[in-house]
Amino acid sequence: MNYGPLVFLAAFFALATSWCGFVLTPQLQIGRLPQAHTVGGAASTYPVARPGLAQQGMEVYRANGCAACHSQQVGQTGTVLEIALTEAGTNQPATIAALLTLAEGSTDHAPALSLLAPVPSAPSNSTNATILAGLPRAFLRSSTREAANAAIKTLDATSAKAQLWIVPVGPDLARGWGERRSVAEDYLFDRTVMPGSQRVGPDLANLGARLPDANWHLRHLYAPRLEVKGSVMPPYRFLFEKRKIKDRQSPEALALPGDLAPGDGYEIVPTQAAQALVAYLTDLHADAPLFNAPMTRPATAEATTSTNAPAAPGTASTNAAPTHAAAP
Amino acid sequence: MSLEPQPPLPAAAEAEPQAGRIAVPVWLIVLLFLLLYWGMVYFDQHSGWFDPQVYAPYRSGAELALYQPPTGGPDLARGKVVFENVCGLCHGNDGAGKPGQAPPFIGSEWALGNPNHMIRIPLAGLAGPVEVKGQQYNLAMPAMGAALPDDDLAAVLTYIRQSWGNKASAITPAQVKAVRAEVGSRTQPWTADQLKAIQ
Repeated sequence: MNYGPLVFLAAFFALATSWCGFVLTPQLQIGRLPQAHTVGGAASTYPVARPGLAQQGMEVYRANGCAACHSQQVGQTGTVLEIALTEAGTNQPATIAALLTLAEGSTDHAPALSLLAPVPSAPSNSTNATILAGLPRAFLRSSTREAANAAIKTLDATSAKAQLWIVPVGPDLARGWGERRSVAEDYLFDRTVMPGSQRVGPDLANLGARLPDANWHLRHLYAPRLEVKGSVMPPYRFLFEKRKIKDRQSPEALALPGDLAPGDGYEIVPTQAAQALVAYLTDLHADAPLFNAPMTRPATAEATTSTNAPAAPGTASTNAAPTHAAAP
Repeated sequence: MSLEPQPPLPAAAEAEPQAGRIAVPVWLIVLLFLLLYWGMVYFDQHSGWFDPQVYAPYRSGAELALYQPPTGGPDLARGKVVFENVCGLCHGNDGAGKPGQAPPFIGSEWALGNPNHMIRIPLAGLAGPVEVKGQQYNLAMPAMGAALPDDDLAAVLTYIRQSWGNKASAITPAQVKAVRAEVGSRTQPWTADQLKAIQ
């Protein structure tokens, strides 16, 4: 019996179906993705094309194989609805009473702050000020959008100003590697998308937002352990040039301490490639709130202490709860 | 009768082996159907119906919509863009106006006052003397806002009323629409006195 044609057809069908599913359909869906509009507050277009130097830096990034050790994709495990107060208002006892009622009253809300968890016995006016100090802060977590909206209405009625914060959560975000998950739009202007697959080093998707200092990057490329203790990154000294100082030191010369200093009469200056690479690194942003990755940025510009180091266990911030908020 | 071993029969080696048929066990069919059922349930819950907008932690477009930031309130960012394109040239991007040419918006009784007056000005323009913050201005303003859509005009007026320290109520597109209908196709610019007569 000759099963040859049947085996061929079966294999062809299997491969063709997966090709349609994994290649053709995504290409039809997001192959011609337009720029997106950011949501919430100031609407703007996202992403914008990289400046020319950063575009060149992408080639340097690619040529040096940075993507072998660094990923550019941030994961997210869930989203949490938080209710924050931005202004305490004039009737603070009523505001605190409303917060407590909301926190105890129903299963829709959980206190996000420990001071709301135990019931303070009849808070006097002096403690009111301390409870409501340091605004804006998140006080409650809501399980559904309707409950959150109702709670905000309740709090607004007590002359306070409440806001809804939509906070993406997940291990990557707890490490400070991003503010939300990565989506297709983030890579829209990347030719040769380099999402990376290994994380020998930290994720770089949102690097420009957490480390905007170009000089930091230059020193870090020249001597990684100068800036990050215990870094396993190799130094990229061939991107720099040791030059004899002619009249006076050039402005872009690296300030290097002690034994790294090039010696009297010499200076270490970054080459064009290093400048381009740093322009690319500081241009890496993935923090715009989009429809498909919604978030609200807390009103304060408080820079979260985001580092390159992986999150130490136990340093749980509000971002650290890797729970998926229950969908209604 | 010979005791010598017979050589193997050549006929058996020549016969082609046959693929036999055996029924698929019932348990395998049941298992396959259970897997199929589980797959469809998983698909229902996690596929987002292959919507390219739905990414992993969100399981459907409806769930994604629940997490959208509130869009309520005036769109001041849009108002700023419109303002700087349309109004800023004369009134200044900082809302301080130009002495002798265009009155300021900061603390202006016209900007903070009756919305019905304020909405009419960009719809048909304003000519003749007008007093703003104790200063006389006497130039004509064309109908800069007549061509703007209702929501853009509402956004820019709200931006004027709520920026640079101004704190007045927002103006909604519905208000603009209503006033635009009242104004109709008026081409003559208003005068300050005509506006003050309107409630």
